[in-house]
Amino acid sequence: MATYLARRLLQTLPLLLGVSAVTFLLLHLAPGDFLATMAENPQISQGTLDAMRHRFGLDQPWWVQYGLYLRNVFLRFDFGESFSRHQPVFVVLREGVLNTLLLAAAAAVVTWGLAIPLGVLAAARQHRWTDRVLSVVGFVGLSVPEVLSGLLLLLLAARTGWFPIGGMHGLDYEQLPPWGRVADVLRHLALPALVVGTVPLAARMRQMRASLLDVLRLDYVTTARAKGLDERQVVIGHALRNALNPLITLFGFTLGSLLSGSLVAEVIFSWPGLGRITMDAIRSQDLYLVMGSVLMASVVLVIGNLVADVLLAVADPRIRHD
Amino acid sequence: MRTLTGTMAVLGLTLALCGCGRGPAAGTAAWHDDHALPADTLTLPTAEFGTHGGRFVFGTTAGPRTFNVLMASEQSSSDIDQRLFAGLADFDNETQQNYPVLAKSWETSPDGLTWTWHLRRGARFSDGHPITSADVLFMFQLVYDGMLHPSLQDLLMAGGKPFEVSAPDSYTVVTKLAAPHAVVVAAIGALRIMPKHILEPIYRRGGFAAAYGVGTAPESLVTSGPFVLKQYVPGEKVVLGRNPWWIGVDARGQRLPYLDELVYTIVPDQNTAAIKFQAGELDAIDNVKPEDYHTYVEGAGRGGYTLHDLGPSLTASFMWFNLNRTKDAKPGHPAGEPVVGPVEYRWFSNRAFRRAVSKAIDRDALIRGPFYGQGFKNWSAPTLGSRQWGALGVTGYDYDPAGAKALLDSLGWKDTNGDGIREDDRGQSLRFTIKTNADNATRIQMLALIKDDLARAGIACTPVPVDFNTLTTNMRQDLQYDAILAGLGSAVPPDPAMYANFVTSHGGTHYWNVKQDHPATPAEAELDRLYREVAGTSDMTRRLPAWKRIVELINDECFVIWLPTQKIMLPVRNRFGNVHPTAVPHRVLWNIDRVFVKPSTARS
Repeated sequence: MATYLARRLLQTLPLLLGVSAVTFLLLHLAPGDFLATMAENPQISQGTLDAMRHRFGLDQPWWVQYGLYLRNVFLRFDFGESFSRHQPVFVVLREGVLNTLLLAAAAAVVTWGLAIPLGVLAAARQHRWTDRVLSVVGFVGLSVPEVLSGLLLLLLAARTGWFPIGGMHGLDYEQLPPWGRVADVLRHLALPALVVGTVPLAARMRQMRASLLDVLRLDYVTTARAKGLDERQVVIGHALRNALNPLITLFGFTLGSLLSGSLVAEVIFSWPGLGRITMDAIRSQDLYLVMGSVLMASVVLVIGNLVADVLLAVADPRIRHD
Repeated sequence: MRTLTGTMAVLGLTLALCGCGRGPAAGTAAWHDDHALPADTLTLPTAEFGTHGGRFVFGTTAGPRTFNVLMASEQSSSDIDQRLFAGLADFDNETQQNYPVLAKSWETSPDGLTWTWHLRRGARFSDGHPITSADVLFMFQLVYDGMLHPSLQDLLMAGGKPFEVSAPDSYTVVTKLAAPHAVVVAAIGALRIMPKHILEPIYRRGGFAAAYGVGTAPESLVTSGPFVLKQYVPGEKVVLGRNPWWIGVDARGQRLPYLDELVYTIVPDQNTAAIKFQAGELDAIDNVKPEDYHTYVEGAGRGGYTLHDLGPSLTASFMWFNLNRTKDAKPGHPAGEPVVGPVEYRWFSNRAFRRAVSKAIDRDALIRGPFYGQGFKNWSAPTLGSRQWGALGVTGYDYDPAGAKALLDSLGWKDTNGDGIREDDRGQSLRFTIKTNADNATRIQMLALIKDDLARAGIACTPVPVDFNTLTTNMRQDLQYDAILAGLGSAVPPDPAMYANFVTSHGGTHYWNVKQDHPATPAEAELDRLYREVAGTSDMTRRLPAWKRIVELINDECFVIWLPTQKIMLPVRNRFGNVHPTAVPHRVLWNIDRVFVKPSTARS
């Protein structure tokens, strides 16, 4: 296992190098640069623009810039500075990462907390109305765009006053006692988590259902039923554990998309996450901020896949990584 | 479904029980002024006298990128930074005149080249340190620094040279200009004063550009304006509090600002901001789409807010044809050829054709459609929104479909093959593309109507929405376009002096033919000459007629074809007094130091 892990981690290096080179090239092929917006200001002269372009190193050809970037990353572990904020890239990204992870985790709780019981229910009641209703509900959840469901939930929040309208903290968060702070964040978290969580719900529910149905057809389940066990015990006690195997893999893979799955919800719910920072950076062509963000997402993706493989090995003794 | 809604209801109920609604505003105890007023207070006019206390929550689409006011380059930062830092003078959005702030007064020599500034005695930074001429000199040193090269530098030049700045004593600053400067007071007022005693060591270490970044601890950010930074939560909010040493007072001698807290809540999505405002979580927002005006009008009665009419936007909309010529020779193509093809260049460079296009466009329909009835015909930049420069009474070639057809007929450009599109006298059918930025829904709707208008005149144009960065590259660098519909944003002050690069032929935003070495047409040579008149003096009796002539000339030549400008409307809650939002930036915030919570409506 240790050599396997080491090998996998080594493999990520060329991968990250490739990702960074492609991102860098794409950003340079894209028209305009960070100063494009400023250039439209008639008060700013060409001389000023040229001086700024030189200060940011944007007057160099892209391979020179990329070479300098790589040298700083490898020799000094310096990922550059955001043009617009004059701050190191990781300081800027750090602001958003934890918030995005919190949202993603809450969304995962919504997804899996609903998908597993509902999938089991659908499988146990296969082809009956419960099953059909659940699949309709699941697919409605899948097909309604996040923009719409998000805004509808915000309208509901405005009507009822049950939830705040976007944001992560109330205005008086700092004055609240510790338990009040937790409750405040939870209140703000509920709606975006629901929106992000319902998107993959249908798929996960159907996967749980299919997987459980496969297992329910196996001989040992028939044996259990023949022994006269009650159906609930058969499904939950005997079949479910085996049926969960493929879902564990899936769970691992979703870890990989943690940082990237909630952009739309972050914008609608004013959630201060990484997605918004990245989108701003791409729009304003804040070069090194985009690079940092892409690299971070790649690292999380690689780690997520690794965790998925390891989880699988842990859950299923037949799979070995040597 | 039942499970889902059930869970939601339960969640909602428990959370509603444990979380409380809007708690008491910070600092409920009445504010007490701890410091004696300075010798030279700045008495600011107020429509109503306010009382201290309360909080104003402003919804903004983007957060600040820096608190360093000199290095800030975009609205979301300067909206905040200009509340934190004051200059020698400022622009009163209401009267559209300059007024003294950190300077008590100024005078100018008869030749207009030497300006002497007298600072207020007793003015202090938020840490209590006196503000003196040394701080002003330090700011001039920063703004002229070749490495920093702040964007303000261009405005603080006269005759291409920096001002010569000296300080005879702690409270006097003398600026000598190499040539007359049209808006010297506004330019010097735009240089906000930052604390030398804190920033000079950082500057010497080469760290000024990054100083006072968004990572700065609030208590270590020393300000010269009415507010101080209390808190910044990235991506969420900025909270400003009162600068206890601020020199501003109302006519009764009460120290300003009235508000305890000014909160900028960052709400990136405009729909969310609208819901948030309607639900009472925001007191004002920075931007409302024209299609939403009617919902605010309807809600204003019961929602406790007013939709303020700010008049014409300072952002001018217009389209132009590509008259650029290549700067560099390419194999087989010497430099100086038209960038567009020879056929298109024959059309675009024909003044009668440009006039015909202008006459073909139904501007009233544009106002009714994309502007939802809330717009004005505008024929210049600065727009109608500028008090001094917007009311020249110049009108360009307005909608006249018959006139447009007659003009094209007179050129001999008629539809010869019956496909509805005219052919020029060499048989080329009049087809071209118009680009605009895809993220601007209003502009795309405008193009759709313009396309129909031109089709009725026998001209086929294809709207091409492109990404904003592509558009700016097209219009300034590779010049690959036929025509573009775009806008020019507002400047403070809205003065022609801010439009040098647009009007003059060598300017980078002289869009139709950028960065010319020599004026390409006699009309542009005349523009250059007239502009020297406008920018080379602060004498309004000479500036106004010259500028009027420039506006007439641009309209007559149709170098740009002016399109209507939007009416700006913004909702603000009624429980605040002294609210006077203006189309000039920073809309509702420009006099926020005088805004107060009306006592009868104050919340506990």
